[in-house]
Amino acid sequence: MAHLELDDVSAAYGTFQVLKGIDLSVARGETVGLVGPSGSGKSTILRVLTGLLPPSSGEVRVAGDVVDYSRASEIRRLRDRCAIVFQQYNLFQNLTVLENVTIAPTKIRGRKRAEVQPEAEALLARVGLSDKLGAYPDELSGGQQQRVAIARALCLKPEILLLDEVTAALDPELVSEVLDTIRGLAAEGMTMLIVSHEMGFIREISARVAFMAEGRVVELGSPADIFDNPQKERTRDFVGKILRH
Amino acid sequence: MDYTFQYGQVWPYLPYLLSGAWLSLQIAFLAFCGGLLIGTACAAMRSFGKGPLLIVVNAYVIFFVNTPQLVQIYFLYFALPDMGIYLSSYMAVLIGMTLNAGAYLTEIQRAGFESRRRSEMEAAEVLGFSRLQQVRYVILPHVAKVLFPPLSNHYILMTLGTSMAAIFGVEELTGRALNVNSQTFRSLEVFSVVALIYIAVTLVASVLLALLGRYGFRAKMRVV
Repeated sequence: MAHLELDDVSAAYGTFQVLKGIDLSVARGETVGLVGPSGSGKSTILRVLTGLLPPSSGEVRVAGDVVDYSRASEIRRLRDRCAIVFQQYNLFQNLTVLENVTIAPTKIRGRKRAEVQPEAEALLARVGLSDKLGAYPDELSGGQQQRVAIARALCLKPEILLLDEVTAALDPELVSEVLDTIRGLAAEGMTMLIVSHEMGFIREISARVAFMAEGRVVELGSPADIFDNPQKERTRDFVGKILRH
Repeated sequence: MDYTFQYGQVWPYLPYLLSGAWLSLQIAFLAFCGGLLIGTACAAMRSFGKGPLLIVVNAYVIFFVNTPQLVQIYFLYFALPDMGIYLSSYMAVLIGMTLNAGAYLTEIQRAGFESRRRSEMEAAEVLGFSRLQQVRYVILPHVAKVLFPPLSNHYILMTLGTSMAAIFGVEELTGRALNVNSQTFRSLEVFSVVALIYIAVTLVASVLLALLGRYGFRAKMRVV
């Protein structure tokens, strides 16, 4: 059974149809890359999977459980299972690094601080930020903030991690530290759906890649299929453009 | 200049002046607190409200921000009695300053409310925060941090603005300075001492507010 499944999912912002019948599945422990031009609906899929945008039709299943978006309790459950990391990190600016990571488990989930703190410290050590526990986000570089955001998402022990262009706002020399963190997660068997413009990275880390355009999955296959031997004209066009520079 | 300073004539009045300064502080503090309550309610209205109440709030802010404070207090003190409402000079000043502060603090706080960051609220939402938890853990701390410096500034301005009460015969610092002046005729000495008291009062307040802002709200404020 697939860990995450989208079955003919459509979604709209107001009257603007962004997703037009998406079929996509991610197996347990698999990493799937989403690529495609801006506005193709990649990030919108992640918004649907975190309940920020309910689908207008179709079905989302997590480990076989159909998500009922009309029920707040099911949206909460969905958010427990799928964590997202945003392009702009979206850290809480008024909290320290450690507090950013511990606030949701302690204040929202009601777990004991004494129990959460060692976990949070271990996660932050893992992303290489042990010396920044007491720092505030505005004292960190973009790459460091993004790693805090990853630790914050992981501290809720999600089953599935959604990454939304997590390196797009970073200086080139900071990209690799974030990518290293993600590689480590993939190696540990985290189920991940990754939206990125880092084609080299997507190619390296993804088991499968979905190419999207105009709200549809145009082509789905292994990285080699998509990048070296695309079947559809639209995919060839995109791959041709990105490989030229 | 062959002026001989005679501070000796003013010193005996120092306790009298200082208790006047205490009254100034009280007026500023009360008017600021009242203004903060009005301002918070009106800013919430302006940011989130609609309908006739919003029109009333807008009219209130436009009126009080665009007329001199002195005229507003004159109105309360001299014009209201024509309508059968009599206020003591102290009450006229206090109410006038409160209403004026309410209008300014509405504008200041509205800017703070509107600076709340959608991105952080979205992050909170996907982490499972309820609306109320978002307000408590994300919006309020941010808004407090953004608002603390301009609110502090306004408080300092209001402390100095209390001198207007002297015109209505309220015996705060400036009012008492006028009294001492008319008894001693040592204007230079009297008003230089009064100026120093104002400076001391506002400096102490500035430092305390900056310390509170910096360590309580993580606001970017310079202490001294």
